[in-house]
Amino acid sequence: MESLITAAARALEAGDPLGALNRVALRNDAPSLALRGIAMAQLGDLARAKTLLRSAARAFGPREAVARARCVVAEAEIALVSRDLNWPVKTLAAARATLENHGDLANAAHAGHIEARRLLLVGRIDEAERTLAEVSTASLPPASQVARELVVAGIAIRRLRTEAARAALDRAAKAARLAGIPALTAEVYSTNLILDTPAARLIARGSEHPLLLGEVERLATSTALVVDTFHHVVRRQGTVVSFGTRPVLFALARLLAQAWPADVSREALIAGAFQAKHVDESHRARLRVEIGRLRTKLKPLADVSATKQGFVLAPRKTRDVIVLARPVEEKHANVLAFLSDGEPWSSSALALALDMSPRTVQRALEELARSNKVQSFGHGRARRWLTPPVPGFPTGLLLPGPLLKT
Amino acid sequence: MKRSAAEIVREYGPFAGVESVHGVTYDGTHVWFASGDKLNAVDPANGKIARSINVAAHAGTAFDGRHLFQIAEDRIQKIDAATGQVLTTIPAPGGGGDSGLAWAEGSLWVGEYRARKIHQVDPQTGKVLRTIESKRFVTGVTWVDGELWHGTWEGDESDVRRIDPETGKVLEQLDLPAGTMVSGLESDGGDRFFCGGGSRGNVRTVRRPRRAAPR
Repeated sequence: MESLITAAARALEAGDPLGALNRVALRNDAPSLALRGIAMAQLGDLARAKTLLRSAARAFGPREAVARARCVVAEAEIALVSRDLNWPVKTLAAARATLENHGDLANAAHAGHIEARRLLLVGRIDEAERTLAEVSTASLPPASQVARELVVAGIAIRRLRTEAARAALDRAAKAARLAGIPALTAEVYSTNLILDTPAARLIARGSEHPLLLGEVERLATSTALVVDTFHHVVRRQGTVVSFGTRPVLFALARLLAQAWPADVSREALIAGAFQAKHVDESHRARLRVEIGRLRTKLKPLADVSATKQGFVLAPRKTRDVIVLARPVEEKHANVLAFLSDGEPWSSSALALALDMSPRTVQRALEELARSNKVQSFGHGRARRWLTPPVPGFPTGLLLPGPLLKT
Repeated sequence: MKRSAAEIVREYGPFAGVESVHGVTYDGTHVWFASGDKLNAVDPANGKIARSINVAAHAGTAFDGRHLFQIAEDRIQKIDAATGQVLTTIPAPGGGGDSGLAWAEGSLWVGEYRARKIHQVDPQTGKVLRTIESKRFVTGVTWVDGELWHGTWEGDESDVRRIDPETGKVLEQLDLPAGTMVSGLESDGGDRFFCGGGSRGNVRTVRRPRRAAPR
């Protein structure tokens, strides 16, 4: 192929984006634009990289379908890393099909991994798993194996399968060493930390202690009655009662479970579940009604009995009651949970991931920003949010290196 | 124009440590190919690399009987084939957009890939003597028996074609199978072409069609 393009591509592969830029900085032909785009992405200027890759895709001729598809995949990866989750998914699927048809299996696999990572981020775990299953694993380069295993681990973590997650992360670490890319090794390491950091709090008989993900997983097989604040359900083994749309009833169930085997006073229940400052007769009447509803809902799992000063939980078929809560409970914990991946998120991407209205997410973010729990950069549609203790932007950007080869 | 499928006679490689083949030439004994940071001499009898010269080698390669010429970035290096020393360099006519290189009749012939051109260049000064327009992206260039042949690689298709050196008109075309790329071209002076296989990292021998009557 072309001399200077070859030289620039070799520099890029050797991890020298400035060397690559030196050779093609002033050229505007399609391969030069693509190389400049990848170099800029590696240097962290994702906005410039995106523009360059888009121009490159346009500049490649109609016969150069593969080169064009590779640019689309690179742009999709930049979109993923900058948490632009509304990026057109169909375009990526088409590019992936083109690469598959032309035998560029490594880059086709890369496109599949990007799609699976996007689905994982927006919480569509089953679809992420299906997409991953479609990607051929034959002769993947080590960097692609790392990407794949990270998605496998992500799915396993969301599904509370710690052993599967650990196994995937071990494979990812091995592949990262083979690839010799420090950023990938770091990404595997930080994912490993998730497994060794408390994922939840267990509250039982008035005391509490932190739980690792593996311990949360083991709880699923325990015979205890579990009030699960992650999923807003009360369950005992296979019997699950969902309180997704009944926050007041769930709050009452939780207050009763936390105090068990002791009872809870009416005043405490009213204050905790209705957020009422002064208790009057109308509150007492409402409490009676809500306890009646709770009793009906909980019937398969527990009874709620009246005591002298309030109510007490009476679990069936078990002598254990526990509450599973987030490690730190605060308002907007769900928003913070997504931001804790350290990546810059747009409020619209968060809204998509949380299945909340964009305005609600914006209000939550502004509130969190006032207490310095999150920070933002950029303006308007380009505004991004992230949690403060992030040294620069870890990107996890792989980018299909051999953009310009056959 | 005559058009036929290229007859691939033999394949050399892939070679250990070679990612891509960028340029190909023939010194009468060995097939030389450029692999980025090396020029490698392959013995066509056994397909083994007999010798390598450490020199930047990003595109076309040519041989004038004593010297190897090799494109690197935006220059053409003149290399003593015996010692491997770079003797001189001249600017490449495409300013880095250069692809194939051939030696014939005292001139260097340089393919400019995306510009779809072949330049005739003075090997002493690098001055462009004339330019031939092609219809497709130009990769390797070679002369044999007064015939000018060049490789094309546009998008996902490759062929080897003979063009009229005056008008650029295509006279004959050998199509390579889909997915087979020609990244460098050299004739052995007889009925064989050596074709670089791009990122497949190999070199193929393609048969040159026989003439009905000798000219």
